Amino acid sequence: MLSRWIDHAVHLVLLVCVVITLLTTVVVVALLGKESFLFFQQVPLWEFLFGTRWEPLLEPKSFGVLPLVVGTLKIVIGSIAIALPLGLLIATYLSEFASGRMRSAIKPVLEILAGIPTVVYGYFALTFVTPLIRTLFPDTQIFNAASAAIVVGIMILPMISSLCDDAFQALPNSLREGAYALGATQYEVAVQVILPSAAARVGAAVILALSRAIGETMAVTLAAGATPQMSLGFLESIQTMTAYIVQVSLGDIPADGIEYLTCYAVGLLLFVMTLIMNIIGNHFITKTHKLHS
Amino acid sequence: MKRTQRKRKERLFLWLCRGATFLAVGILFILLFHVVREGIQWLDLQFLDNFPSRKPERAGIKSALVGSVWLIGLTALISIPLSIASAIYLEEYAPRNKWMRILEINLANLAAMPSILYGLLGLAIFVRYFDLDRSLWSGALTLSLLVLPVIVIAAKGAIRSVPNSIREGAYALGARRWQVVFFQVLPGALPGIMTGVILALSRAMGETAPLIMVGALSYIAFLPEGPSDPFTALPVQIFNWAARPQEDFHGLAAGGIIVLLILLLTLNAGAVFIRHKLQRYK
Amino acid sequence: MSEPLKDNNFSLETRNLSICYGEKQVVRQVNLSISSHQVTAVIGPSGCGKSTLLRTLNRMNDFIPNFSMEGEVLFQGKNLYEPSIDPGDIRQKIGMVFQRPNPFPKTIYKNVIWGPKIHGYKGNLQDLAEDALKRAALWDEVKDRLNDSALRLSGGQQQRLCIARAIAMNPEVILMDEPCSALDPGATARIEDLIQELRNNYTIVTVTHNMQQAARISDQTAFLYEGELVEYGATKKIFTQPEKKRTEDYITGRFG
Repeated sequence: MLSRWIDHAVHLVLLVCVVITLLTTVVVVALLGKESFLFFQQVPLWEFLFGTRWEPLLEPKSFGVLPLVVGTLKIVIGSIAIALPLGLLIATYLSEFASGRMRSAIKPVLEILAGIPTVVYGYFALTFVTPLIRTLFPDTQIFNAASAAIVVGIMILPMISSLCDDAFQALPNSLREGAYALGATQYEVAVQVILPSAAARVGAAVILALSRAIGETMAVTLAAGATPQMSLGFLESIQTMTAYIVQVSLGDIPADGIEYLTCYAVGLLLFVMTLIMNIIGNHFITKTHKLHS
Repeated sequence: MKRTQRKRKERLFLWLCRGATFLAVGILFILLFHVVREGIQWLDLQFLDNFPSRKPERAGIKSALVGSVWLIGLTALISIPLSIASAIYLEEYAPRNKWMRILEINLANLAAMPSILYGLLGLAIFVRYFDLDRSLWSGALTLSLLVLPVIVIAAKGAIRSVPNSIREGAYALGARRWQVVFFQVLPGALPGIMTGVILALSRAMGETAPLIMVGALSYIAFLPEGPSDPFTALPVQIFNWAARPQEDFHGLAAGGIIVLLILLLTLNAGAVFIRHKLQRYK
Repeated sequence: MSEPLKDNNFSLETRNLSICYGEKQVVRQVNLSISSHQVTAVIGPSGCGKSTLLRTLNRMNDFIPNFSMEGEVLFQGKNLYEPSIDPGDIRQKIGMVFQRPNPFPKTIYKNVIWGPKIHGYKGNLQDLAEDALKRAALWDEVKDRLNDSALRLSGGQQQRLCIARAIAMNPEVILMDEPCSALDPGATARIEDLIQELRNNYTIVTVTHNMQQAARISDQTAFLYEGELVEYGATKKIFTQPEKKRTEDYITGRFG
């Protein structure tokens, strides 16, 4: 009887824990929604989404978020331009060419690369990558998009390479054997057979990596600057959505001011963008996972 | 295309793949080398034992280091029981239906949510609403929310790796569910859970943005005596120094990074050890 | 070899038992009376529902999400599926041995005493373990290494350990779900011998797809086909003069 009673008690305790854990989501949504609502009572939604000047801290104030989005996009495009080709080549090497020993030597290195805190990458961008760029392009500003994009690229590289490696490994060996039996070279097998067959999961990896890059904060705060602007150059100072939030919280902002609320409006936008990408990415990964097993 | 041409293309491609891989390895070594070269001269016992200071030669990471230890300790206390309990519930008790699948997706999305959003959450909920102010509590609770989904996912995987035949064997002896879960499943899943916990906590240890949001970035020249005290943390101190224009402070940042990386490496080595030595089920 | 069936000597009885997994009906209207202290074998081609039937006898089917049943399962005259009954109590009295040996990743000794321990056994655990291992004919092989991991035993030894584990609970009935299907011929012979000895103290129900095995070890045989109980009676009779055509076809190897 006692142990039957314990059974019910344990069940209840566990249920409470799971509810607490899951409340996080509800609270995030409710909170971002509530504070953003207050913000949008003062600033019209269309002005926020399509305005091209972001000057919330200085008079005359202006709340067009596009400069922050453009800054973020620069980081995202730059980092994926570096990480995608490199990541695919690394994944191909690990999955198709490397010996077992080489594989087990390289994978931990990539894990370490993935485990280095982002503030360290920020420091690296500022004190190593930026000076390097400035010797090549002397006109580059101290804070610039290129440097941050490069380190964010390094940061998401392990994610892309390991997800793509998983995708290649999940393919049945018969696929490779079939192609080799027709006299194909390793290049042809990797590029014309393996890569297209794993396309859905490679796509998912890219989407998840993009979402990581959008949300990346410390490297861009340290290296990319605090100048929200609509421009196309990579060698000048910019500001991303995340860096803006940090900038505001570094100052002592009163809880009821519009500056405080802008953080949540920008946060909501960030949340929606990353959530959509994560849902799509995770969906593709689980879907293809089921297909293969 | 001629065979020789195709062969040449194959060789070129192979070298490209190899080159990319060694580039990644090379970048890691350049990063480590750069950090050590810049920071090693600042690294001495005084650096560990001094409080932050406006004069670089007298600045140290004592309060940051102690703050980080407090933070991770508190985060572990809050997040480990909650997340393991949640994982047990989701794997062993929850019905398998549409809602559970949605929950699972939700968990994956929480784990991938940008950490700065957790900072916004902590700022509004813990700092402002619960009025915990800029205390260790606020920092630790925020970090706990951040690592919760990560540990839950890892623990779920570890619990799932315990073969079903073990559960059946225990049930067939008349065991109640809690006995099966706590005496058979959990011991079998423990190495996997511990690995997940350590990796999640080492991620928390390097987190900077959410701590800046809840106000860890203050000049702290004393040690916290309890969880209600204000604090600073190692990565935040590193950020603080790296953000200054003076060269000397960059050196201090590098010194702090060396200490942080050594701590993380130790934690990760522990995780690898547990994974290889104690795992009973594959 | 077999005692005559007496009405009051039934240990387990199913009455109009039908079992569904979701929409699919796997067992239809089975009436089966299992005698005490005898070995009853359930035979039939794979997928005929014999494992399902067996797992219903100690409520191991409770864990299958879309499982549903009609009819009754009586154990010592009481319905096992009455709401007031705790399945944990049932499984203490009706033990089970599975298709693949599933020892816990603990020592041999801890495997045997785990069941009694969680139920608060008051006696001497060491004596209990020794007794159970002796009854399972494993004692001589493991008495010097009781603290070794059970996972280091051979497959046949692991299966006998699982039988010892069930015996340590001092059950009335032991259900065996194809206990030899994962074992080599030598280990199978040892388990078969063991089943013969266990008959004296326990009621045994075993499922097997191996007809020779059923003929060798059982007193009663039930032939199940597509969820229906085709024929049930003394093993000797089933194998020499079956009443139904389908039984004869099956045991002579015309299908299955």
